[in-house]
Amino acid sequence: MNRLIVLALCAALAACAAMGKVDTGQQIVADRLVVDLQGPWNEFNHGVDVPTWTVEGFAVDRLQFFVGIKNGEPIAKRPKDESKQRPLTFHSSMNAHEVVALFEGLYTQDGSTFTLERIEPITFIGEPGFKYSYTLVRRSDDVRLAGVGYGAIRDGELTVIDYSAPRLGFFPRYEDQIEKMALGARLRS
Amino acid sequence: MTLEADARRRFVCRVGICAAAFALAARRTSSAEASAWEPPPRFTAPDPSSEEGGLWALMAHEEQRIRRGQLLIRDPGLRLYLQGVACKLGGEHCPDIRVYPLRTPWFNASMAPNGMMQVWSGLLLRVDNEAQLAAVLGHELGHYLQRHSLERLKDARSRSAFATLISPLGLGGSLGGLLVAAGSFSYTRDQEREADRIGLELMRRAGYDSREASVVWSNLLDEASVHPGANLSTTSPMFATHPASAERRNTLAELAGAGGGQLLEAEYLASTAPLRKVLLEDELKRAEFDESVVLLTRLTKRSPERADLLYYRAEAYRLRAQDGDIELALADLNAASAMAQCPPEVDRSLGFILQSRGERAAAVQSFGRYLRASPDAADAPMIQSYIRELGS
Repeated sequence: MNRLIVLALCAALAACAAMGKVDTGQQIVADRLVVDLQGPWNEFNHGVDVPTWTVEGFAVDRLQFFVGIKNGEPIAKRPKDESKQRPLTFHSSMNAHEVVALFEGLYTQDGSTFTLERIEPITFIGEPGFKYSYTLVRRSDDVRLAGVGYGAIRDGELTVIDYSAPRLGFFPRYEDQIEKMALGARLRS
Repeated sequence: MTLEADARRRFVCRVGICAAAFALAARRTSSAEASAWEPPPRFTAPDPSSEEGGLWALMAHEEQRIRRGQLLIRDPGLRLYLQGVACKLGGEHCPDIRVYPLRTPWFNASMAPNGMMQVWSGLLLRVDNEAQLAAVLGHELGHYLQRHSLERLKDARSRSAFATLISPLGLGGSLGGLLVAAGSFSYTRDQEREADRIGLELMRRAGYDSREASVVWSNLLDEASVHPGANLSTTSPMFATHPASAERRNTLAELAGAGGGQLLEAEYLASTAPLRKVLLEDELKRAEFDESVVLLTRLTKRSPERADLLYYRAEAYRLRAQDGDIELALADLNAASAMAQCPPEVDRSLGFILQSRGERAAAVQSFGRYLRASPDAADAPMIQSYIRELGS
């Protein structure tokens, strides 16, 4: 039994990756997206081509930035396994529902369950965009998360800011801060 | 008497009847054609300090997590039904078996040595009748009755796979993680063959048509055919744990022989009916539209009267959006519109297609019909904004 626990701990440690500090104030994400932060964050480099930040820890809350995704590009690269999963490809002709369907696919690829709670129009990065709210039951640990995303297409390129955290406690703690940051976000010309 | 108590009483009666039927059927099959195999007596819990005891403790931990977790499908009718099917097959082992349906839209089932059985929702969407369900549960019971997982414990790689069950970080983020979790219960080819034979025997003894086992396999291979040349163990938890081959399907068909026995399609469809919408929505959210089109085409052939199946196939076409898909989606949506019990979402999908084609007035009409039928829908504000945009 002890050997099983040691193996589990090894698996957990292997999942760790590099962390970096993100300071309060103005920050530029992916060389293009400007955001104003009310507090410090931690950047989590986990080998995926999507800038990902956390306050409470990667296994708890995640703020992800999908910036400048071009027509015909996937919203995120698949993990480098042999999986033959269909790529989640963005097309600039997509409406808000179709973009959110891509994120449903992304977040459920590990067997988690996604429920769209609301989708509504907003102005984001100076464009007519959309805000979506969802709950996600994460399969790896059975935790129910709440999530929110802000998206818009400018010049045919998609930008989405997405935040998720455990529904009780963590999500309500950061929800307002995320909304302020997202609604103030802008693209550098 | 409360509803729950009444349901429990009816379940106990049903299990009692099933156990009696199992005993009678088992006696009948002692004829020449029946297998010489006999189920072992009920198992007792191992010494907690032994390696087997450690595995049981691990599985008990996992079971506790499942029981309290968010993925467990808590529909009491479904849970009683699944437990009843497992008991029909398991006979005297019935009191040791606990079936947990989990909301995970891939085809998979597994059984742990402590009697915990998991049935994923993707399996419930894909089987057509109780006999097909019994084929899968019977196969997993075969592993349990022959204690295959304990043989696997001797293998270090297997220990590692079991260990991932208690390591949330080790599983996060991808289908790969899901395959590793499912792989905790993968067996050798010889063990798979033995479980196949025992599963068929359990089906026969419980009165099911054992030919349905090969039908399950055939349907899975049809879905997998959308990945030509792929290593199928990387595409599906079921194929990660069970060799995917036509040979296996053919062997199952041969072993089943002339078959005969019950299918119990109506019972199966009635027991899973409350979950239909969730199962179909989760299937689409996987975004594996090639597989979904194959699956939904089979389901629409089985139940051509169901407008909801046409709607979900139309969505799979629309979201896949390959050449010709939008026309196929439109055909399904128009057919669904003409049917009774057409889901309101059909009008929303029509609106999306008309919107993308620049047919503004028709799109506004479709979206309007959707909003009148579903004024409180989660996406109503967004649809209203489409209407405003189309009207401007």
